[in-house]
Formats: sequence, C-alpha cells, structure tokens
Amino acid sequence: MSKKPSMGRQKIKIEKILVKNHLQVTFSKRRSGLFKKASELCTLCGVEIGIIVFSPAGKVFSFGHPNVESIIDRYLTTRSPVPAPHNPFHLLEAQRNAAVRELNLQLGHILNEVENERKRGESLDAMRKANQSHYWWESPIGKLGLEELEQVKDAMEDLKKNVNREAAKLVNASANAVYAAGRGGVFEQYETKPSHGGVGSSINNIAAAAAAVNGNFGYCHGFF
Amino acid sequence: MTRKKVKLAFISNDSARKATFKKRKKGLMKKVSELSTLCGIESCAIVYSPYEAQPDVWPDQRGAARVVAQFKRMPEMEQSKKMVNQESFIRSRIAKAADQLKKLRKENREKEVTHLMYHCLTGKGLHGLGLHDLNDVAWMLDHNLKEIYKRIEAVGKDHAPPEERTQQQQLFAEWMGNPGGDQIGGDEMIVPFSDGSSQGAPLWSNAFFS
Repeated sequence: MSKKPSMGRQKIKIEKILVKNHLQVTFSKRRSGLFKKASELCTLCGVEIGIIVFSPAGKVFSFGHPNVESIIDRYLTTRSPVPAPHNPFHLLEAQRNAAVRELNLQLGHILNEVENERKRGESLDAMRKANQSHYWWESPIGKLGLEELEQVKDAMEDLKKNVNREAAKLVNASANAVYAAGRGGVFEQYETKPSHGGVGSSINNIAAAAAAVNGNFGYCHGFF
Repeated sequence: MTRKKVKLAFISNDSARKATFKKRKKGLMKKVSELSTLCGIESCAIVYSPYEAQPDVWPDQRGAARVVAQFKRMPEMEQSKKMVNQESFIRSRIAKAADQLKKLRKENREKEVTHLMYHCLTGKGLHGLGLHDLNDVAWMLDHNLKEIYKRIEAVGKDHAPPEERTQQQQLFAEWMGNPGGDQIGGDEMIVPFSDGSSQGAPLWSNAFFS
C-alpha cells in the first residue's frame, strides 16, 4: 500500500519548457496556483483583480473579482486618473461580499481538517514503521519467508474465527436487547424513522456507542 | 521567509494590509510572468487598489490591452467556459478539499484497522471492540490472507530459493542439508504437517529440498 513519492520541490529555470507533457502539467498547476494567489489577495486586502490566461491549447481561463467583465470594462473605459466608478448596487455588493466571507470561513475550516488528517496519517505511518522493525510478523508480506508466512496465515485464520465469534455475540446481544424491550423484531428499526431514544434504534445506538468508544482503537473494556 | 499561517479574511489593520498588498501583488505579478514564459502563453493581470488611481498591470499597458482585446474577440461561450470569480473559485476549492479529506480519512481508517488487526493478532484487545471495528478487522484479515495465499503459492512454485532468507530459514535449510548420523529419525525426513504419506507437505518440497 505504499505510494510513490512525488518529485517534491524542484528549482527550475524560467524559460519555455520543451517537453510538451511537462509544459501542460506545469500550465495546469501554475494557473491553478495563480488564481489561488489572486483569490487570497482579494480576500486579504479587499482589492479588485482581473486575470486572463490563454492555455497552450488556445482555451482561455479567467479570474475576476468582483467578476471578469466588470474589471475589463473598468480597465477599458477609465484610462485617465478617475476614482473607482460609483456602484449604485451597494446592497448587491454587500451581499456578495458576505457570501465570499462565509465561503472563505468554510474553506479555512475544511483546509484545517485536511491538514489534521494528513498529520494523523503521518503519525500512523511512523507507528507502523516502528512496529515493523520490532515485530517480524508486521513486515510486508513480500518480505516474509515461507515458514513465517505459514505462521502468520495460521494466526490470522485463528483471529478471524475469534473476530467472527465476537461479532456474532454482539449482534445476538443487541437483538436480544430489542426482544427484551418487548418490540417485534430486529427489523423494527427499518420500519420506523430513526428515533433518538427508541428501542428500534438500539442496534444503531450500540454500533454508534461502539464507534464512539473505539476512538482509541477499542482498547478500553467494559462495553457490556 | 517567515511561515505564519494567515487567516483567509480581510486584514483590518491598515498598515498590515498595505504591507501585505505590496508583497503579494509583487508575488502575483511574478507568478503571471513565470507562467507566461514557462508555457509560452499570453496572459495579463490587472490589479486595482485603493492606494493608486491607476491599476497595476502586467505585462504593461500595451501588452494587457492586447490580451484583453484577444479575449474579447473570442466567442462569448468560450470566454465564460473557464471564467471564475471569487465565489465560484472558492466553492470549487472547497469541493476539492472535501474530496481530499474523504480520501485521507479512508486511507487513515485503513491504517488504523491494520494496526488494530496486528494488535489483536498478539491475542489482546478483542473484547472491547464494537461491531464496526470487528467488521473492519475481519475485512482486513481477509485482505491479508488473500495476499498470503497468493504469496505462498508463488513461493511454492519457484524452484529458485526465496530472495530473502531469514535466520530461521537459514538454520532450517542448513539442518536439512546435513543428513546422516546426526538425525535421530534415521532416513526419514522430519517434515511438519506430514500425515505420514509420501505426499508429505508439498509446500515445503521445492523451496527447501532442491
């Protein structure tokens, strides 16, 4: 399950790229990055920007705040030092700005979550790596010898039996809980809308509680 | 260059905002220029600010005017196809980030479950687990077992010795390669899993007894 690492940051000379494929990839990435920078500049400093970019294939990409057309119009019509055209539609502009503010908040929030998840992945990788150097059975399967493979296979088949047994126990227990509360059957939960305290959702509740309890890999006991 | 995380919001402090504007505008112009040169394409940037009446323009007034004219010559549909404003652009950034988050969460869950599986393999921690974790561990076990079966079959087929012999295998192979008086069992090969028949344990035959 190992990913091939990307090339990372390479310093390149600023001159026309010769390999067509590289050129296209570079265009795509840098155009995206350019618009991102422009968007940030608009947000941070509250300025109006217009960018027009022609692709190697001849298509045109444009970014504009508040929008491309108004920037172009403003640029073409005002060639002498004149202050920004008076905008009669203040309300519209205020609404638009509020919407953008809201979106930026949302974006910031989700970018944080992505970063957190990425960091979590790194620490999980580090943990796995450390374990692999300590426990031979955690090594990648390709590196194991035949006898070791057999051992791991047996251990896993054994564990699988145990896991299935535990799972069956849990399913039976929750089904019994439904019965014990006097309701019809396990399928009651599908007939009614998911309620918060209802018996019909007891299976969901147990599973949800299990999920909550298992935030730390389920090493804690006392579930039943 | 200091790497402080900047909040994506309007900078209320006037001097800080002006400083940021100067820096970032310069950086933006540099990026447009690099993009044009690297990819051999036409482009322009127009930046208005409250600090100057005239916009800051790249490459220059003539160049920008030319690109704008080129843009306006294109059919309306072509113009608007890849046109974005703040709203649409940020929305698409959010969507991309959401996809990325989903992917990362899935990958991390797989790593978590793998870790959980190996932990349980040593005989601990199975009783505190809920149905969700148990099902995922069962899946991971199946996944790994499939790989193991494949690998066992592959190694069994080859006449060539496996690439990396562990110490156990070394010792085993050496022991097997030293017949004669040392063995208590006489001429019989001591083969695990053997049921006494001449078939023996086929998995072992090629890898070790060639």
